[in-house]
Amino acid sequence: MTGRSYTRRGFLALSSVAVTGLGISACTGASISGGGATAPASNTLRLFTYEDDTTIGSLKAQVKKFDEQNGTTTTVDSLPGSGAAQYPDKLRTELLGGSGPDIWRIWGGQIGAPFAKAKQAADLAPYYQKYGWDSSINTAAVQGMTFDGVKAGVPFTARALGAWYNKELLAKAGVTDVPTTYAELEEMNDKLVAAGITPCGLGGKYGWHIMRLFEYLLEHTAGPELHDRLLLGQDSWDRPEVIEAFTLFKKWQDKKWLPEGALGLDPADVGNWYVQGKVAYDIEGQWTETAAILAAEKDPKDFGVFQLPTDQSPARHSGFVEGYMINARSGNKDKAAALLDFLLTPESQKAMQIGSSTVKGAEPDAETTPLAAEWAEKYGDSPFYTIQDQAFPKKEADQYFSIQSDLLQGSMTPAAAAEKMQEIVAAWAGN
Amino acid sequence: MTSLSPRRRGGRWRPWLFALPALTVYVVFLVYPAVSSLWFSFTDWDGLSPAYNVVGLDNYARMLDDPVVLTAGKNNLIWSLVTIVFPVTIGLALALLLNGKVRAKPVLRLIFYAPGVLPLVSIASIWGWLYNPQYGAINSFLSLIGLGDLAQPWLGQDSTALWAVMVPAVWLRTGFPMLLYVAALQSIPAELYEAARVDGASRWRQFWHVTMPSLRSAHYIVLALSLIDSFKVFDMIYAMTYGGPGTATQVMGTWMYANVFQYYQAGYGTAIAVVITLIAIAVGIPYVRSQTRERAA
Repeated sequence: MTGRSYTRRGFLALSSVAVTGLGISACTGASISGGGATAPASNTLRLFTYEDDTTIGSLKAQVKKFDEQNGTTTTVDSLPGSGAAQYPDKLRTELLGGSGPDIWRIWGGQIGAPFAKAKQAADLAPYYQKYGWDSSINTAAVQGMTFDGVKAGVPFTARALGAWYNKELLAKAGVTDVPTTYAELEEMNDKLVAAGITPCGLGGKYGWHIMRLFEYLLEHTAGPELHDRLLLGQDSWDRPEVIEAFTLFKKWQDKKWLPEGALGLDPADVGNWYVQGKVAYDIEGQWTETAAILAAEKDPKDFGVFQLPTDQSPARHSGFVEGYMINARSGNKDKAAALLDFLLTPESQKAMQIGSSTVKGAEPDAETTPLAAEWAEKYGDSPFYTIQDQAFPKKEADQYFSIQSDLLQGSMTPAAAAEKMQEIVAAWAGN
Repeated sequence: MTSLSPRRRGGRWRPWLFALPALTVYVVFLVYPAVSSLWFSFTDWDGLSPAYNVVGLDNYARMLDDPVVLTAGKNNLIWSLVTIVFPVTIGLALALLLNGKVRAKPVLRLIFYAPGVLPLVSIASIWGWLYNPQYGAINSFLSLIGLGDLAQPWLGQDSTALWAVMVPAVWLRTGFPMLLYVAALQSIPAELYEAARVDGASRWRQFWHVTMPSLRSAHYIVLALSLIDSFKVFDMIYAMTYGGPGTATQVMGTWMYANVFQYYQAGYGTAIAVVITLIAIAVGIPYVRSQTRERAA
């Protein structure tokens, strides 16, 4: 072998291996053994959340208070911004990397389920018993963080979605009363468009924001029982009620009741438009009072909220729970549970201005968050249907968002959309 | 002085001993994860659970039936073509311009290269606002000059979304080839142009017969690096459209990411990663071969 041929071949071989290594390791780069061992006990805790700038301060203040009382040091990290689109990915990567947080905030339903199923989240049953969470926390909310009978999370908030509106814009369009029927809602939309105002601000980037409109329309056309069965895959989606809901969904866009090019808009931008006066209303939860209205230093009196009228009985709204999980491999599970118990006291919940707390005695304060308090008073006892991106696993939810997209762009008919949805849900529910 | 034989100096293993620390790092952080990822591509691992089953080539076979893989592959090809041809051509044109008698050359170079050093997420946010169908500067400008009919929901429809993302990609990637070409142009001897002029060559002929041949090695570097850069596209798509609307702007990188990190299908996702890697190797081999030839020569 000559030196020259050896160099070339050797370099080629090494380069090929290098490229393979760089490519594949950059793509995944994790093995099952990552993070497999239980961390040693210490007084240091780490809490991972997705609070934004408007709420992270009050959470950190409560955590600091706990640390001072218990001699612990807790780091709070946050990844705000994209809703449930990116946060779970980051969390999962951290857990696989072996440096996962002791506590993490998470949505219930199918978003939290994989962490429970993979046993990354600890079974909190002993702590429910120790701290009496079963009696202090809303039972329905606890169900939202219970997976295959395992209480893998503790809920602290049960969110409810309603229409949050700008009073000035409704008045400008001559709307004096909020709608109480679906027909009145459509009538209100027409008046707003006639006045040059875009009615409903929803963005299609990530899919989940604009989904809130379709799930409402499905509740309107299908009614509570059928809607629930559809979400569980117990009934076929290929049916007239679903086709009607998709038809209405398209109608909202065609009649310009949604912003121009809604599919490409980022929810992080659009979610504030009703406060900025760019749209008349948005489908949001109680957090919007703190995150959008108060953050913009606006007076809550200039805004209002109503339950979207479904014409069904019982009247329901979309809802979901959020809570905390404890890392199954944390060496500080007891301290983590103690921190959670501290955060779940009515005092802490009120201090953090949780507008929809699951904790008894932590109802919203009418002084600081009057609209959230109004919602709790009017609709706090209303039943809710599971928000669709928590009803379906992420993959199926993305396939569903793809159908939404095709339908709104006119490349799929409502009938074809219903048929395709049935294919997706049947494949998932059949597993 | 008598020189020591290789054996007496430490034997033929001595070079390997010096390379051992670097090789250890390389094996632990690159080769091992790569091999383990290759292994997972033959399993149904969900990416979280401790247990999995070996499924052989099922994940690879499944890719043939996955319509998103087809969309992503097609988008990768379009992306590579557009984001190579336009930045390289514009970069060369700017380099020729800046190599001439132009005032404020350093400032212009800085302006043209600046987009390349901005964080991609910032670029994505800026262009996302520019593309906003209702309040964005692009549609507003079109309306201002009487072309309101051309206003589009650029990122919100399948027909324009990928192209809309490619525009900022071209914008930010033009500076790099421009800099390489500027450096290469400055190394071309002025005598060649003088001789060409004496022979009566027009500027056009000078460009094709003096400039372009002299830029051969620069062309190769620019094209090879642009090709590699184009093929690994992920961040711009992820930040600007998240692969949407629907799956219209998915590329292989984002689809792999979705499967591994979002759908809990790590086995399938790593199979996609392996395919991406194999294609990258196939594309990269001519470049590596040329480099080794040059070194050997």
